[in-house]
Amino acid sequence: MAEDKFDRGSALTVFKSDRHEDFMALVLALVIALLVYLFV
Amino acid sequence: MVYTRKTVWPLVFGIIMVAYAYLVQSGSMEPVIKFLGSGRNAGEMQILGYTFGAIGIVVGLWQLLASPKEGLGDYYLSMVGGVTFIMMVAFIVKWGLDPLMGQWGRAAQPTLGFNFASILNLNYVVMGIIAGIVIVNVFKVPGWAENGVRLSRLGLKTGVILLGALYSLAELAHLGRLSVVLIGFFVLGSVGVVLWLGARRNMPNSMTGVLAAGVGVCGVSAAVAAAPVVQAKSTEIAYTIGTILLFGVLCMFIFPIVGKSLGMGYIQFGAWAGTGILNSAQVAGAALAFQPNGIETLKVAEIFNITRVLFLPIIVLWLAVWYVKREQGAVKVDLMQVIVGKFPVFVLGFILMFALSSTGIFAPALHYQGNYFDNSDKVMMTKDREGKVVSKLLGDKDLAALTAEAGKVQRKDQQAALQRLIDNKKVMSIDDDDTLRGVVNAKIMGKAANDVLTKAHRAVRHTAKKIAMFRTLIAWFFTFGLVGLGMQITMASIKQAGGQPLVVGSIVGVIKALGSLVVVWLLVAETI
Repeated sequence: MAEDKFDRGSALTVFKSDRHEDFMALVLALVIALLVYLFV
Repeated sequence: MVYTRKTVWPLVFGIIMVAYAYLVQSGSMEPVIKFLGSGRNAGEMQILGYTFGAIGIVVGLWQLLASPKEGLGDYYLSMVGGVTFIMMVAFIVKWGLDPLMGQWGRAAQPTLGFNFASILNLNYVVMGIIAGIVIVNVFKVPGWAENGVRLSRLGLKTGVILLGALYSLAELAHLGRLSVVLIGFFVLGSVGVVLWLGARRNMPNSMTGVLAAGVGVCGVSAAVAAAPVVQAKSTEIAYTIGTILLFGVLCMFIFPIVGKSLGMGYIQFGAWAGTGILNSAQVAGAALAFQPNGIETLKVAEIFNITRVLFLPIIVLWLAVWYVKREQGAVKVDLMQVIVGKFPVFVLGFILMFALSSTGIFAPALHYQGNYFDNSDKVMMTKDREGKVVSKLLGDKDLAALTAEAGKVQRKDQQAALQRLIDNKKVMSIDDDDTLRGVVNAKIMGKAANDVLTKAHRAVRHTAKKIAMFRTLIAWFFTFGLVGLGMQITMASIKQAGGQPLVVGSIVGVIKALGSLVVVWLLVAETI
């Protein structure tokens, strides 16, 4: 996948930076952890 | 730019997933599931099939019928196609190819003399990545799926953060010192050797610097973090990433084969993979390939991997000083800004989850490796559906098997633990359990007695439901991420790794892999 195919993010990520991707992963993981804590 | 493509495939995949989940639920797939021996996955087949199927159908219909305009809705919803594509591949691999290959491996064992599926690690992790590589290089990732494939790294990072929930403070204290010493030695050693070799082979300082960070610390993230410090060009970053990925892919396939050939235990292999493999994703891949039906190896490998990432600021500092010294007149780089700006936040997320887990909110407070010890009558004497009492205490035959071989046990602590087990018909403490696991792993007694010890171990060790759920979720996040990772490994990116960086990176990579193998083999004891 060439870099210029995407005007946002890069060929490796949909996010504008690695830091942004890290934060999204953190938010996703915390939401999942909360759901597991509450419902399992 | 509008990302949504008019395609019928997300809708088709959605319908297939829902239909499959329904067939599993109705029992129509029973003969196939029974043949493949994948009955324990029936629950997730329904949940994941219905969930991703429904998403595929709804978004697939929207993509087919609507005319989206450029914007956030178009950008994020267009990823659903790629997600259903990866999940479809993951389903086929995890629920179909993985158990099928296991069947074939066992069937061919009498003829071949070995289980090829086990020896070649043909499990869902390896086959998932291979499927991704085949798809991208033979068929190409379809245009409508390309945007979603870029989510695979998010899956891997989320998996790493969730992995923190499986660790306990006691466990990290046990492995922490060892991982810091081992990793410290190999990270600093690798960086030093790359800098020395790069100078010897007249590589540009910027190329050497970025390669040193990539080979020494944690692969792609480290290379990207170190790039501004050594003012690396984008082609040099690409070369480094190509080298790391190529070497990492080779390691991912070779490490588990070597580990199994040497009869390594989970802790030993986890320590070796976490130290010797260059890139985080491939550490996870190798650990899962080594132990596809458990998570102990992955956990140890990730502790070593995370420890390695924590060395990043030190390496960045070192490279900055080295580069400024080498390149007289180099533009000054704000070091703190680089460290604060580039440090991977998902590592902090992992530590946060670990801290939460250590408080005991996901499992009993004294849980160890996600499991907890309980030998009370409440768990040892349970009732079945008909109300009949089922005992997990050892029976007379079990005790006879242990007594017959007890003379082979020489160590006094092991003798005492074994005697307490025979006297009480159950394991009496956590320490006894660990001691007796050591007897099993060292294969001191015969198979029959070892089976009894394993049975006694399973009777007193319990996995908290929440932790079990985390394990399932982590396995799926990694499967998703690794299939997507495979789809990003093109022949062009592999060719890009050619030349000097490949030579230097490979030399250092091999030294690191072999050196860490020797050190782990000599120093790391097996206690799981």
